[in-house]
Amino acid sequence: MLSSKGADFSKVLKRYDIDLQVEATPEEMAKKLLPTDPVFNKVAEEVMYMRFKTVGPVVMEALKERDPLDVINKGLVAGMEVVAKLYAEHVYYLPEIMMAAKTMEIGIALAEKQVPGGREAKATVVMHAAEGDPHDIGKNIAAVMMRSSGYDVIDMGRDVPVVDAIAKCVEVKPLFISGTALMTTTMTAFPAVAKGLQDAGLEIPMMGCGGAVNRDFANSYDLGIYSEKAPQTPILAQKILDGYTWKQIRDEWDNIIGE
Amino acid sequence: MAVTRYTSMAYKDADDLVFGKAVHPVSYGFGIQVGAGVVIPEINYAPRPGTEKDAEKLRREYVDYISKDILNRAVTAGFPNVQLETEWVSQMNQEKLSGPVVAGQKAICEKYHEEYGVNCAVRHTIPDQREADEGLKPGMGGRSYPEKLFECAEIACENGTDVLSCETVGGKEFADYAVTNGDITAFLFGVGYLGSLDMTYVWSEFSEIAKKNKCIPGGDTNCSGANVSMFMAGGYLDNDVQKTFSAVTRCISAARTLAAWESGAVGPDKDCGYEGIICKAVAGKPTAQEGKNCQCAHCDLQGNLIAQACDLWSNESVEYHPEFGGTSVQCWFGSIAYEAALMNTATQLGQEKTLRDLYMYADRTRGPEAYVLAYDNAYKVGQAIAENGNDLYLRAKAAGLTGAKIILNGYETKELGLTNKQLDTLKSIIKTLEELPDDTDKITEYCTKEYKDSVPNYNPKNYDL
Repeated sequence: MLSSKGADFSKVLKRYDIDLQVEATPEEMAKKLLPTDPVFNKVAEEVMYMRFKTVGPVVMEALKERDPLDVINKGLVAGMEVVAKLYAEHVYYLPEIMMAAKTMEIGIALAEKQVPGGREAKATVVMHAAEGDPHDIGKNIAAVMMRSSGYDVIDMGRDVPVVDAIAKCVEVKPLFISGTALMTTTMTAFPAVAKGLQDAGLEIPMMGCGGAVNRDFANSYDLGIYSEKAPQTPILAQKILDGYTWKQIRDEWDNIIGE
Repeated sequence: MAVTRYTSMAYKDADDLVFGKAVHPVSYGFGIQVGAGVVIPEINYAPRPGTEKDAEKLRREYVDYISKDILNRAVTAGFPNVQLETEWVSQMNQEKLSGPVVAGQKAICEKYHEEYGVNCAVRHTIPDQREADEGLKPGMGGRSYPEKLFECAEIACENGTDVLSCETVGGKEFADYAVTNGDITAFLFGVGYLGSLDMTYVWSEFSEIAKKNKCIPGGDTNCSGANVSMFMAGGYLDNDVQKTFSAVTRCISAARTLAAWESGAVGPDKDCGYEGIICKAVAGKPTAQEGKNCQCAHCDLQGNLIAQACDLWSNESVEYHPEFGGTSVQCWFGSIAYEAALMNTATQLGQEKTLRDLYMYADRTRGPEAYVLAYDNAYKVGQAIAENGNDLYLRAKAAGLTGAKIILNGYETKELGLTNKQLDTLKSIIKTLEELPDDTDKITEYCTKEYKDSVPNYNPKNYDL
């Protein structure tokens, strides 16, 4: 092997990941972000520290002192919002998101049993991986993020026939339907789904996502909008909830994602 | 097909690993010799969306446009060797779509070989559409029934593929969970153990099919596991998966990929298997690799390094479309073929080890995955596998632990930089792996219980357990 003695590899490569890493610990950052109310603070900490084995007793204790909807929104969801902030700051990574979401869901399941009439989700969305496509990891991550943001997710799984995706939307009339594709030959299902929706009189966005899909393709068919990464999905969902049409989402996509 | 596990290293010294030469070269097609002294460019492509809807359109796309364009460019620019790789789109599981493509590509290779003397061959990589929850073995039923996998192998071989390959999905139900949740135990059990069991089964069958049709059973990759991990770990702006986690999954994946070669496959393995350097060190069979000349498909952090000991040099895949310099396949073929020409020039001038080391040093410290795949380190991971070669679980565990400790040592000796988070993850992985039992029955019992809810698609019957 050649000797590398004396070689200066900073002239060859630059480790931006090391240079730019956030030195603050999650604990330090969370101090400023967690709720100040001691009961909600304790619940939020369970989510933030992904304590899925102990969140149950902590939530049950909180329910003795606080309204169940507040325990959900000001405790569990607030904790998840801290996790999202830490993720955005590169302090937390995907595994933390997944485990925190699991923790939050355990807590919500307990708390919502005490909400008279049940807890209302923001909206229902349908998610699927395209017909012929077995790759669904991106869809699964996005589904976790949507659930964490308060949406009911109908996850149709992978390799979902176009007709089934359309039929499900006709049945539940979701806020939008998303499809993921890792192959250029399966993403062609998206325009077919969109056309089927229009034929059925549904003007809901058909979000095209996945490794093979780019913005041009997602914008090439009526109803089509694009989500590049899983964390963008709840951001786009909120805009649709606010009343944006698929055309408006397209027109303002850069601003929406940049917000 | 008899299965023979590797319990010793084909290479006695890491320094003997070099591009273009393998201990066990393979010959096929029209004059192609892989691992026999030259690196061969292997060009991979995807048809334009929509062409898969019609058999004649698809044949024309693959044969009359893509293959012809590539072979013309090879002759135009004076490249002596070309390997085509067709990764089947999912619809090609129907013989009416795939049969004419395989036969047509074989015919055009023969034509160019006869007319111009260009050495050429075609690899067909069939799709593994099996799904864990619907059964991985024949007779288990389900929509993506496994019988189709072996039918595809028959179609490819009967219609004249030179090399048969596949990107099998055994263990994927655990890999998806493991990567998204940062769970190294789930990856070890799913990919390292279950994946190796599945690989052994599938490739024993593939090897018989290939042998019957006088084709070469090439090899596989852990694209569905370690590459998902690597792509999600991404570059310096990405923060989904830790790069130390990804690096260890790569080491574990080598134990799985090797199982194809133990079950009758002879190489070359698949380009997307970045673990190929480890497998080559153990088995001495030729490996296909991809790196800096596959930017059309993705960017990784070892673009130069990964060329260090390749036998085929690939572009991963590019969709067929026009570029300023010709069609996309012509442009990217030029890119990989010129790189291969540089490697072959180094060999002819006796400078192959120098160029190998230049490739290696260019990326050695770009990230932990590059570091552990540097040929000297990869060799040590290979040794850990061979020392435990007869025990599929134990060798995968040894590969992961050895790789993790190599990275930690690189950090502690200040050769390799790590972020705080990468270091924390690495230390946690080492602790976890060290605490796991060495006994396969115990780990199976533990994982079956531990992942009952989080990996609901796991069915022990898929692995004859």
